[in-house]
Amino acid sequence: MSAIVVLTLAAGCSKSDDTAAAPTTAALATPVPQPKTVSKLGDLSEFGNITADVAAIVDKGDLPAAKMRIKDLEIAWDSAEAGLKPRAANDWHVLDKAIDHALSALRADTPDPVDCKKKITELLITFDSLQGKV
Amino acid sequence: MNTLITSTTSKWLNKVPEITLAFWVIKIMSTTVGETGADFLAVNAGWGQGMTRVVMGALLAMALFTQLRTRRYTPWIYWLTVVLVSVVGTQITDLLTDGLGVSLYVSTSVFAVALAAIFAVWYWLERTLSIHDIVTRSRELFYWSAILCTFALGTAAGDLATEALGLGFTWGAVSFGILIAASYAAWRMGGNAVLTFWIGYILTRPFGAALGDLLTQAKTYGGLGMGAMWTSALFLTVIVMLVALAQFGMDNRKNVQATK
Repeated sequence: MSAIVVLTLAAGCSKSDDTAAAPTTAALATPVPQPKTVSKLGDLSEFGNITADVAAIVDKGDLPAAKMRIKDLEIAWDSAEAGLKPRAANDWHVLDKAIDHALSALRADTPDPVDCKKKITELLITFDSLQGKV
Repeated sequence: MNTLITSTTSKWLNKVPEITLAFWVIKIMSTTVGETGADFLAVNAGWGQGMTRVVMGALLAMALFTQLRTRRYTPWIYWLTVVLVSVVGTQITDLLTDGLGVSLYVSTSVFAVALAAIFAVWYWLERTLSIHDIVTRSRELFYWSAILCTFALGTAAGDLATEALGLGFTWGAVSFGILIAASYAAWRMGGNAVLTFWIGYILTRPFGAALGDLLTQAKTYGGLGMGAMWTSALFLTVIVMLVALAQFGMDNRKNVQATK
């Protein structure tokens, strides 16, 4: 029972950390130095590469094409859930949220180029930090 | 003459199948197929979660309505209803977890209490929880409410095992398989048949999900890499064959009775 309480507390803490950290990374839009620990999620390059692709398309200003391309990320991420999530559930949730934000930005009724760029950049930073590249 | 009597009588025959090995095979496989199907519509077909929920809810309402109107167990209607209950039960848990941010500890406890409450009211009103006597409208409503609750509970408990214990699908399939074997052994050794049946019903939900993941997930994640499409096609084929066997078996018996 005490283990459950500790776990719930831990989950609660990590959540508040995310929300606190998000605005700072967004405002700077540059990688913030973080400890170089590789997440137990393992190799995420498949998803990182698609995201880099989406970022390049967003930079060109072609939001409809970026919206098409990010669906590949959604499908790949969704179908790998059962394999990835048990490795590091907390890291998985951090990435899942970041992907969700990027998806909703690009799928808005009238997507905002600035917001799309911001959300994609945040997602790239999340990938890099989990891969220990930052 | 007999057919005339059976069709005019208002008395129901048992509306649900007997518990055989085929019952459990169909139940486990339909969980995977239902989940893959809903996922396909939400992500690949691009309907989104909201739209998929509405459509699945409507389909379940139609299937349940048809099931409630039948006078006796009809395999294809019964199993179609189970698949849709499985999908909607999973969606309820996902909506609570992902949409509303409800902790899995909370949802698991709430569904467990809700299921206990359903059984308590069911027993209080009917004086039996036997699934061999689902012969009235109220008993059948209790039966389906309990089944919806076991799917939601099984999903939440299975997800909790993944999140809190880091239980992947391989160990998930092994652990839930052992628990199912234990409840089977308990039943064989004289344990309460109703209790062991419902425990098995809850456990087969995460077991089915783990088994499905084991087949669909890529080899890099320790799966067999069959992919969601081929796994679903395989499972669906087995389900259709077993349900068709049950359906033809029933129709034959009915014909034999009619010609007598």
